[in-house]
Amino acid sequence: MSETATQAPPATAAATDDVLLDVRDLKVHFDTEAGTFRAVDGVSFSVKRGKTLGIVGESGCGKSVTSSGIMRLVPMPPGRFAGGEVMFDGRDLLKLSEKEMRGMRGGRIGMIFQEPMTALNPVYRIGDQIIESLRVHSGLGRAAARRRAIELLDLVRLPSPEKRVDDFPHQLSGGQRQRVMIALALANDPELLIADEPTTALDVTIQAQILELMRDLSARTGAAIVLITHDLGVVAETCDDVVVMYAGRVVERAPVAALFAAPQHPYTIGLMAAVPRLDIQSDRLETIPGSVPPPYAKIDGCRFASRCPVATDQCRAELPPLRELAPGHSVACWRAPLEDVA
Amino acid sequence: MTVTADANTTTATPEDAAPPRRAPWWLRLLRDRAAAAALILLGLIVLAAILAPLISPADPFANSRNVMIPPIWSERGMAEHLLGTDGQGRDILSRLLYGTRVTLLIGLIGMGLGGVIGSLMGLVSAFYPRLDPWIMRLVDMMLSFPAILLGLALVAVMGQGVVPVTIALGVASIPDCARIARGIAVGIMKQEFIEAGRAVGLSDLTLFVRYLLRNAISSIMIFMSLRFGQLILLGAALSFLGLGARPPQAELGMMAAQGRDFLLFAPHIAVIPSVLIFLIVLCANVAGDALRDVLDPRLRG
Repeated sequence: MSETATQAPPATAAATDDVLLDVRDLKVHFDTEAGTFRAVDGVSFSVKRGKTLGIVGESGCGKSVTSSGIMRLVPMPPGRFAGGEVMFDGRDLLKLSEKEMRGMRGGRIGMIFQEPMTALNPVYRIGDQIIESLRVHSGLGRAAARRRAIELLDLVRLPSPEKRVDDFPHQLSGGQRQRVMIALALANDPELLIADEPTTALDVTIQAQILELMRDLSARTGAAIVLITHDLGVVAETCDDVVVMYAGRVVERAPVAALFAAPQHPYTIGLMAAVPRLDIQSDRLETIPGSVPPPYAKIDGCRFASRCPVATDQCRAELPPLRELAPGHSVACWRAPLEDVA
Repeated sequence: MTVTADANTTTATPEDAAPPRRAPWWLRLLRDRAAAAALILLGLIVLAAILAPLISPADPFANSRNVMIPPIWSERGMAEHLLGTDGQGRDILSRLLYGTRVTLLIGLIGMGLGGVIGSLMGLVSAFYPRLDPWIMRLVDMMLSFPAILLGLALVAVMGQGVVPVTIALGVASIPDCARIARGIAVGIMKQEFIEAGRAVGLSDLTLFVRYLLRNAISSIMIFMSLRFGQLILLGAALSFLGLGARPPQAELGMMAAQGRDFLLFAPHIAVIPSVLIFLIVLCANVAGDALRDVLDPRLRG
């Protein structure tokens, strides 16, 4: 399966350079009795080989649906792809057959989940789960797969892997389980690793270890990472590029240094202001006034307009397109650049 | 390696320590005294039923002139009939042993039949939400059809006997098993490891068997063990109504029915098999409850 994928001619010019994943105008909608819920509504971004892209945004902004959309794990129905393309190494994942897609999942694309406590099958030994994935994709024999599983557990620095390989998930701690998840995701040397809030459920001290481990392993294997998080600190530390999402759309896209140096979208600025800081004394926590528009609402203008301090009539009437202000730095805001406004 | 404060050392620290191992489930089950007693009694009854041809003191089907002999502990009791004889002079203890065999088999096979078909329906229903409304409407239809009526219909077609009663019991337990299995499976399908299994590229069959079925099976078995007692009762009721075992075959419900005619002057003929039914159902329920307490992950403290 992976052979046919690599032999396929690159469909577009974008695939010829080092862009591994190119998501174009992806739309994932859910048809419910209350109406159509546009969880992801025209999201575009790309990831270069070996680089890390962060997707940030608050709960419900569509970042998780984007990641499961790339993997085609969105339950359908009620979900459906309402448009767009997910070009992976020159092929549109949305056009693959279910069988071809199965070969991609866990093979060329690995995924790490948020809850290490529930993301491992509780009735299976951790080694068997890794062995299963190895045998499905690499066609290894049982003994060879077991050796490789122990190797992988060693790679993610699980202590005494030759013993732990026969443990059940409930015999491991949260941090150890997340290491197993990473080993599972990396089992078949994927080119892309999608990590959906991989550290949210962990203690802060363990979080740093896991991020460090992911960065180290991706540097070693050359895998690109899509890191989904709501933690701007994590983004600043680990990512090369950042996509900021709000209510199902990309509002800002930039290299990480540019984003933190000069955020352009009012939402990004609000998000950064809402991060509590130790060096500035303040009695209250900063918030962005208002709330996210209800998911079923049909909004013509900018979705952030109702909460935006600098919104104009144009913002409320017309949807701002993503414009490139500086090389690699795009923003979906009519008022940007904001220097003259603020 | 740059990571020094890593999990190589953290197994000992409280933040990252693995949870302690628990005693095996069967040990915890035996610590529950009521459950242990119920299991031992049930085991003895099953053993006696299996060994019936070897341990029966008399031929369970042979009539004799010693009719309605009371049990040995009453004044007119006879040493060769420990539990006395029935209206046709047959040894009640022997009939009890053979009858328990039939009763247990009807319950077990009926439960197995309904459990396998019903659980599969429930699991498939949860696994493929598209099929859910269709399967569950079918289950609703089956649910609205009383087991006794079903038994009557089957006996009308197949004739009186153990087989139609067993099938009726099996079919009657399909809807309950399907609903329970679906409920359990829907909860499992919502857990992240199902999506994680998909994300590893597993096929539907692998996911269904290794991720859904393997996780659901203990809860389903617990439900079935609780259901077993009810099914024995229902089977005995059908036999009591004359739908089940054909004379001279012995079956506990039928024995109770035959003793009904002599209830006033030889009550032991009806009471003894009834007490045994009661004991079997009680033991099955107590053991099933204890099994659930021990195995059901949702009740873990």
